Amino acid sequence: MNINLADLFLFSVRIFIKKKGNILLPFFLMLCFQISVNAQSNISGKPGLIYVPSATETKEGTFSFGVNYNPIDYGFRFNKKNSENIYFINLTLIPRLEINVNLLRINNEKIKGQKGIGDRQIDIKYLILKEKKYQPSLALIISAPFGIDNSLTTNALIATKSFKLGTTFSADFTAGIGSPYYIQRDDNEKSNYNIFQDLKFRKKKELAYAYLSGTIGGLNLHYGQKGGLLFEWDSKHFNVGAYGKLFKKWTVQAGILNFDQVTFGTSYALNLKTLPKRLKKANENQ
Amino acid sequence: MKISNLLSGIVLMFLTFPAFAQTEDMESIRKSLWLNYENTTLDPANGKIYYEQRLDRNPLYGLLEMRKSLADTNIHEYLPIFQGIIMANYKLGPQITATVPTPEERKVQRLKFLAHPDRYKFDFWIQPLFSAIFGYRQQTLQSNTSVLLQTQFYLWQGMVLNAGILFPITNDMDNNPKIIRPAPVFLNQFFAFGKNFISASAGTFYNDQYGVNVQYRHTDMTNPWSYGLEAGLTGRYYYAKDGVYSSSLNQVFLQADVAYRLNRPDVTLKLSGGQYLWKDRGARVDLIRQFTNVEIGVYAMKTTNGATAGFNFAIPIPPGKLLQGRNARLRTTDQFRWEYSYTRGFKIGERYRTGYQLDQKLRQYHTTYLNSQRGD
Repeated sequence: MNINLADLFLFSVRIFIKKKGNILLPFFLMLCFQISVNAQSNISGKPGLIYVPSATETKEGTFSFGVNYNPIDYGFRFNKKNSENIYFINLTLIPRLEINVNLLRINNEKIKGQKGIGDRQIDIKYLILKEKKYQPSLALIISAPFGIDNSLTTNALIATKSFKLGTTFSADFTAGIGSPYYIQRDDNEKSNYNIFQDLKFRKKKELAYAYLSGTIGGLNLHYGQKGGLLFEWDSKHFNVGAYGKLFKKWTVQAGILNFDQVTFGTSYALNLKTLPKRLKKANENQ
Repeated sequence: MKISNLLSGIVLMFLTFPAFAQTEDMESIRKSLWLNYENTTLDPANGKIYYEQRLDRNPLYGLLEMRKSLADTNIHEYLPIFQGIIMANYKLGPQITATVPTPEERKVQRLKFLAHPDRYKFDFWIQPLFSAIFGYRQQTLQSNTSVLLQTQFYLWQGMVLNAGILFPITNDMDNNPKIIRPAPVFLNQFFAFGKNFISASAGTFYNDQYGVNVQYRHTDMTNPWSYGLEAGLTGRYYYAKDGVYSSSLNQVFLQADVAYRLNRPDVTLKLSGGQYLWKDRGARVDLIRQFTNVEIGVYAMKTTNGATAGFNFAIPIPPGKLLQGRNARLRTTDQFRWEYSYTRGFKIGERYRTGYQLDQKLRQYHTTYLNSQRGD
C-alpha cells in the first residue's frame, strides 16, 4: 500500500461533507484498497505505449478493458475519412500468454450500414523471454489470421527493458519490428465457413494505413505505478503521450500523433485470480 | 446530529470494521453466513458437515465460509452437496484434499434428504439470456435478449424441476413473437456412484430445443484425467401467440470427450467430437482457464459444415444475493455463459443447453482448481 491512509481518509471525509450522502463513497474506498495492476495500454488495448505494444510481463489473470479514440488523419479503416473508436479486452490467460479482443468502429459513417458492428480482431501475445537483470523481455504478437477484412492487425516481435531511476522513477525502453506483411483470408461473408482456408500474405502498405510496418520503439518514463510520459516511433511517426492511474486500477491516457492530432482513451484493469475480500480472511489456515 | 457527522462516523466504522469483526460481531457473522447454506447436516460424532450452497458457482467460497461459520472446530470433513448429491469429501488443511464419498456417507445423506423435504429455501434468481449474430451489413447486430426469473423445485434426491418466466427484450434473429412466456421447463436428475456422475434432463431446453439429454462423466476431484459421454434426442419448439409449436424429435446429438487438467499452466484441455445439431459431425478442441469467479475458454473446431474458432466465458452476474431469509431467497444468477464464434450462420457444431453442463459443473470441484486459488 503506497497511499498515505490518513490523507486518503481526510480527503474522502472532505468530499463527503461537501456532498452529503455521496453514495459512491463506499465504492471509492473499495477501489482504493485493491491491489495495483499495470494497465497502460496501446491503441488496441495491449500493454504498451500509444501505438507501439511492449513486451512487459503481465501477471496471470490480469484483465483489462477500455476504449481508445484514433483521430481521422490516422484512421486505420478509412484513412482521412473517419475517426475511430477501438474497444478492447485484454487477458493474461496463462503465464506468458495474453489474448486481446478488439473491436474497431468508425465514427460519423457517411453511408448507412458502412460501419457494421465493426472490425473484430483477436490477437495473441506470447512472452518468449522474461526480463532478467541483463536480459530484456521478448514477446511475439500475432493477429489471428482468419480475419476477412481487418485493418488493425499487429504482427510484431518486441523487446522491453526496464531501468530504475532512483527510488520512484523508472524508464521502460521498448524496441522491435512490425511485420510489413499480414495474413488475410480470401473470402467474403457469404461463404465464410472455413476460417483456415485461403489464407494469403498481403502487404501492409496496400491497406489504408500501414500500422506498425517496420522498426518500432519507444520509452515509458513513469513515476511508480501512478503515471508516466510516453515517447514512441511507430514505424511512420513520432508520437508523445501521458497517462495517469486513478485508484490503482483506472488508467486515463492521451497522446499527440505526429505532433498533429490527438488520441485519447481509458481502461480499467483487475486481476481475475484475486479472491473476494470476504474470503481472504476465511482462507487463513486455522 | 448533522448528517455529515453521522456519515463521517460511518466512514470511520467502515475503516475500523475488521477490528469489530474480531469481537462481538463474530457470532452474527456466523449466523448470517449459515443462512447461505441449505440442507445442512452436522455430524459431530464423525467430525463431518454436509451442506448445499447454491449462491456461488465457485465451491471454494462455500468451503471456506462454512469453516468460518462453524463454531465447532472439531469438524474436519466437508461434504458439499449438489441437488442433494454429495460431490466429494474435502479436508481443509494447508492443501485441500478430496476423497470419493463412502457408501455410508451417501446413505446418511439419502436418509436426511427424505426425512426433511423442506430443508431447501424457495430460491429465485434472475438470469439474462443473450444470443447474437454479428456482421450482416443490412442489420449489423441481430440479437435475441431476454431476462428470466427462475426457480427450482426439489422433488427427491437428485431430482429437480427447473422452471421460470421469460421476459423478452429484443428479438430480431427469428420470427418468434416477443411474448412473455415460460422459461425452459425441464426435469433434471443428478446422480453419482463412485467416480461416476450422471445428469439426465427432459423438457424444454435453451436454444429452442425440447426432448431428452443424458450426460455421463467419469472423474474424481483429484485425477487430472476425466472423460464423458453425452446423448440427446430433441426437436424444435417455440411459443407463438396462439400456443406452442414443435417439430418431431428429429435431432440426434451424440458426443464423447476426454479432458486433461494441467497443473502448470493451470488449464484444462478438452478434446470432444461426435454429432452436433443439424447432423453436423466433427471434432472440437477447448482450452479452458478457471479463474476465481470467471471461466474463460478458447476453442477451435472442424466439422462437415466448416471450420471455426472463438472464445467463451462463464461469469456470475453481480451482486449475487439480493434478499435472503430463512425460507426464501432472491439472487442474481451464479452463472451466465456466452460463446463467440468467428463464423455465423453455417450451423457449425451447434448445440443446445440444458441447465448446467456436467463437465463444467464437476471441474469446479477439482482440488487442483480449489488449491490454485489459495496461492497468494
